[in-house]
Amino acid sequence: RAHSNPFSDHQLEYPVNPDEMDWQKLYPHFFDEATNRMTKQVTIADIGCGFGGLLIDLSPEFPENLILGMEIRVQVTNYVEDRIIALRTNHADNNSFQNINVLRGNAMKFLPNFFHKSQLEKMFFCFPDPHFKQRKHKARIITNTLLSEYAYALKEGGIIYTITDVLDLHQWMAKHLEEHPLFERLSSDWEDQDKCVQIMRNATEEGKKVERKKGDKYVACFVRIPNPEIV
Amino acid sequence: MIHPLQAVVANSDGSIVFCVIKNMIQVFRWEQTKGEFVAAGRWIDEEDNTSAIKTKVTEEQHRQRAENDAKRRKIEEDTSINKSEDNAQTKKAKDAKVPVPGAGAPPVYNYVRNVSLSRDEKLLFACTDSDKALVVFALDFSDPSKNCLTVQKRQPLPKRPNALTTTTDGQKVLVADKFGDVYSVNARDQKVIGTTENGLEPILGHVSLLTDIALTTDSNGKQLLFTADRDEHIRITHFPQTYIIDKWLFGSKQFVSTLCLPQWGSNLLFSAGGDNFVSSWNWESGHLLDSLDISELIEPFLGDAQLAPERFQNETNTLVEYAVTEIVTLSNLPYIAFCVEQTKALFICKIDPTLGTITLAQTIELPCNIVSLTSASASNTFVAALDNRESGTFNFAIFISWDEVQFTIDGEKNICFDRCITEELGGNSIANFEGQVIYPLYHIGSLRKRGELYA
Repeated sequence: RAHSNPFSDHQLEYPVNPDEMDWQKLYPHFFDEATNRMTKQVTIADIGCGFGGLLIDLSPEFPENLILGMEIRVQVTNYVEDRIIALRTNHADNNSFQNINVLRGNAMKFLPNFFHKSQLEKMFFCFPDPHFKQRKHKARIITNTLLSEYAYALKEGGIIYTITDVLDLHQWMAKHLEEHPLFERLSSDWEDQDKCVQIMRNATEEGKKVERKKGDKYVACFVRIPNPEIV
Repeated sequence: MIHPLQAVVANSDGSIVFCVIKNMIQVFRWEQTKGEFVAAGRWIDEEDNTSAIKTKVTEEQHRQRAENDAKRRKIEEDTSINKSEDNAQTKKAKDAKVPVPGAGAPPVYNYVRNVSLSRDEKLLFACTDSDKALVVFALDFSDPSKNCLTVQKRQPLPKRPNALTTTTDGQKVLVADKFGDVYSVNARDQKVIGTTENGLEPILGHVSLLTDIALTTDSNGKQLLFTADRDEHIRITHFPQTYIIDKWLFGSKQFVSTLCLPQWGSNLLFSAGGDNFVSSWNWESGHLLDSLDISELIEPFLGDAQLAPERFQNETNTLVEYAVTEIVTLSNLPYIAFCVEQTKALFICKIDPTLGTITLAQTIELPCNIVSLTSASASNTFVAALDNRESGTFNFAIFISWDEVQFTIDGEKNICFDRCITEELGGNSIANFEGQVIYPLYHIGSLRKRGELYA
């Protein structure tokens, strides 16, 4: 199915807290048997990763980063899992694609169960569900209140990437990010020079679909600025 | 027969008790010299919720109409067809229809959901179900013949309010709702803000039902806001900079229903809910200091009410579920009291204020199930409202006081209270009920998550 209600009680698996998360099973290549610890932690998250196109293109660009896709739809998650297993098997000789994986989760509810404060460097929101109806706006992935949770997970200087083909949603996301005191918009010059923006425009399945239909793609990127002094 | 009290709140010296029965708040004052309770005020929520629903429906209709018009205009512009304008305008706007619940729909209750006092005890706050509003009352006890309650403001909220707290300066009420949002409402003025666009905006939000909210200050005097939800989360956020999240307290395995911040233990927080334990936290460090396993303590008090619903029951019909309803404390004694929904047991625990360790001190069996628990915090008294349907004119509420050695039931005060309620409300048509028409007294257990398989 194309949609999943982010408010309902899905039978989800999530750790009680970020320390309890078993990252070894997702990134076995980055687990050190000697110390019994992970050598890296996830620093890039693709929220609502869909069919995983972005993960796959980001993988060789950030070989030193662990990249996690979060997807709420079960079948889609299973598909991405299979896709990554196949890629890893086909590239077993050089260990590529060891740094990406996917998990089924509801990022709107359980992001803090997976990530420590300031853990993430980049968060991607690519072609999110537009939730056109006004009544459903709280179900959008970018809202004032959720942005505070993303700001918690992002480190200072960390970046939120958004892309959509729906102008109305683009304006909504940009407006809420602009209004949020912990984010600052990055210029279009910056966007033009950033390799992730290029990948995001071209790599995702949704992006390709829009390309085929010759639709518009709207990009907005924001940097996590430092917390102001507590009053 | 007088309906059981659904909620009870006492002021800190225990001289005033606020009771909720259905859509009514009844206030009693303790006359120390006479040794009796007297009625001090009453307020009945007469708001008809059909009018609130009607307003909502009308607003929604207007919005949809505007949206459709905008769409139509856009299409016309896009296709640049100059249709005659009468087409759109001849469509007469119909009056909004108020939806009527069909057969088998759950009953709609119009009751006062919770009551709470301002820090200076000059205001009373109540949340109503009828129009999902926060009602602010000014309290005035100077003239005993006068109703102590005066409505100062009635602020409707977008979603059903579930819990509230106030800022340290008492200027703002922070209301947490069932949609997961927290709204800040000015407590001191009378200005009501619209709930639709450009009106009230949430100051923070969870994507989960909020069950409790509390506020305290850190060692630098900065305010911190604590919010608990149905997804096991306890979140700490700065206030008024609610866009800065300080941390989460992780460790709950089930929904959290209650938060308790004592004045006597620096950085201590107690929480409980659908878990079989009560947690003690150092919220400054984020560490769990202690947790008290209650499964054995509660065992003798469990009954059929704690058997899991049939759909979720195991084959041997032995699956038991219970939840802590409330944790309360006192101003100057390092004790907490808590109760489990639909049981008669009041558990009182001693806390080590430095280590945060929880030690059971007393288990007091009350005559009936506890519905609501509160404390007269400066007078070392716990007050429990009971589901006294079995006992008729007795056991509306039980007062349990510290006698310098232990906590004991204040039998005389209980009798005075029962007598005063019976005299005051015996002939009151709202306070009385017949047959089975009872307002929901127990709603914490239903917060338990069942997963989508059962949704």
